[in-house]
Amino acid sequence: MNLIAPLQGVSVPRNIGLWEWFSNGETWTGEGGILSSVVETLTLCAVVLAVSIAIAVPLAAVLAHHRRAELGATWILNIGRAIPTFAIAGLLVPISLTQGYGFEPWPIGIALTMLALPPIFLTTYTAVRQTDPGAVDAARAMGFTERDVLVRVELALGVGLILGGIRVAAVQVVATEPIRAFLGGEGLGRYVRDGLGQNNDSLLIGGAILVAGLATLTGLAFGALERVALPRGFRRLRQVQVQNTRTGVAR
Amino acid sequence: MRRRTVLAMIAMVAAVAMFAAACGDDDDGGDAASTTPDGPTITLRGQDFSESVTIAEVYGQYLEAKGYDVEILTPAGFRTEAIDGLRNGDLNLIIDYIGGSQTELAPDEDTSADPAEVAAVITPLFADIGATVLDYSPAVDGDAFVVRGDTEGTTISDVADAGLKFGASSQCFERPQCFIGLTDPDVYGIEFSGRTTLEFGPLLGEALKAKEVDAVIWNTTAPQIGTEGFKVLEDDKGLFPAQNIAPIISTEVLDAYGEQLSTDLNDLSAQITTDDLLAWNTETDINKVESDEVASDWLTEKGLK
Repeated sequence: MNLIAPLQGVSVPRNIGLWEWFSNGETWTGEGGILSSVVETLTLCAVVLAVSIAIAVPLAAVLAHHRRAELGATWILNIGRAIPTFAIAGLLVPISLTQGYGFEPWPIGIALTMLALPPIFLTTYTAVRQTDPGAVDAARAMGFTERDVLVRVELALGVGLILGGIRVAAVQVVATEPIRAFLGGEGLGRYVRDGLGQNNDSLLIGGAILVAGLATLTGLAFGALERVALPRGFRRLRQVQVQNTRTGVAR
Repeated sequence: MRRRTVLAMIAMVAAVAMFAAACGDDDDGGDAASTTPDGPTITLRGQDFSESVTIAEVYGQYLEAKGYDVEILTPAGFRTEAIDGLRNGDLNLIIDYIGGSQTELAPDEDTSADPAEVAAVITPLFADIGATVLDYSPAVDGDAFVVRGDTEGTTISDVADAGLKFGASSQCFERPQCFIGLTDPDVYGIEFSGRTTLEFGPLLGEALKAKEVDAVIWNTTAPQIGTEGFKVLEDDKGLFPAQNIAPIISTEVLDAYGEQLSTDLNDLSAQITTDDLLAWNTETDINKVESDEVASDWLTEKGLK
């Protein structure tokens, strides 16, 4: 049934069972298989996250350090929650085509970046803004420059919160990236797209399971990274803080 | 005083009723034996693309004007949902493209470019689910192999070795009458240099214009083919099936109304042409007019409403 020549369309039979589809080696390694689709998806997501972090973290940190754009930060939160990623990407596709930039990667990349920026920006802003004033004053008294205060005190103390924001953004991006398949691209969304178009339930459900699974794994991976990335002393400090809040002792 | 008002009102109501009845008689087009048809509600629904929506409006409004009890539902789904609706009784009239019906009901059966042959294949298949295929219309919306105007060649065979990048909807990639047939060495044996899955509709034209793809499978009545100066290559090997439109109605409903309903529907089908489909699509897709308005205008113009 699945005879594959180069660029020959792989047509998955409609009556294939879900397990049958998953247990077929061709499903994983063939042209347009799961493995290559996962790589396509993760590559785009990694680039989007890197760009989002590079934009949002420095910008939010500097603004928060100088206590600027307090209202703006709230605005960004609200706008970020209201933006329908699919609509943004869908609007950008025809523009990108007429300008000669093609289907990919700009429209979907920009739309996903707009999805990732708000959580990273906000957590960074909040982290810097909420640093213990005592620690900041002490650092200044010890002769830290403003830049040192920001990088070595405010950001260092806020690293846990910031990583949490990045984790949220990463999960959202990985879970949303599959819309790319509906906009002239491929990636892990292809199975959901083809399942819908070809009226193939196994393909549709299998594709949905894969997307959900990858998003879950992303969340777990970043969760592990948070635990590893926190300095040991900081983790101890955190435990003390947690105990203090439980026992009601003022810091 | 008050009694007089009541009397006046009764007189007025009576006058209006008589007037309306007189008008009603005029609507019957002088057909002496014709009475208001009496039977179950005819439920129909367009598939979720503009041409199908307009066609459903045309058939629905036409039957309404004839005095049938009609309900036109909000457009949803595609062929599979339409046929499922017919099967489970949610719908009792669908208007489909006969070649498309065949690929849905008998995917492995050889297709034909002759509408009579296709109709002969689908008639028993629809009978199995309790539906009757009425006369197909001369109006055709077939599959079109579309390339940019400056592409060399006039037939699909001409571009077999041109190394074109191919774009089509996901449905196309699983069909013997589409991608599978185009690439099959025993049919066209085209070697495409790339392929992209695109949502069926205007995006196909956008991608073709931007040279993201060099060939797309579109429909022959897509108005953009003319406006963008694209070219439809001739299907010289007869891969694409005949795609005339035909009403398919629940046999139960047809029997309830008797001869009159099939006569009325066949009369309408006979009057719709391919040019009409193209004109309707131009109205809905290019001029952004609502489908029900387009249908109403056409019926009025033809004196069918």
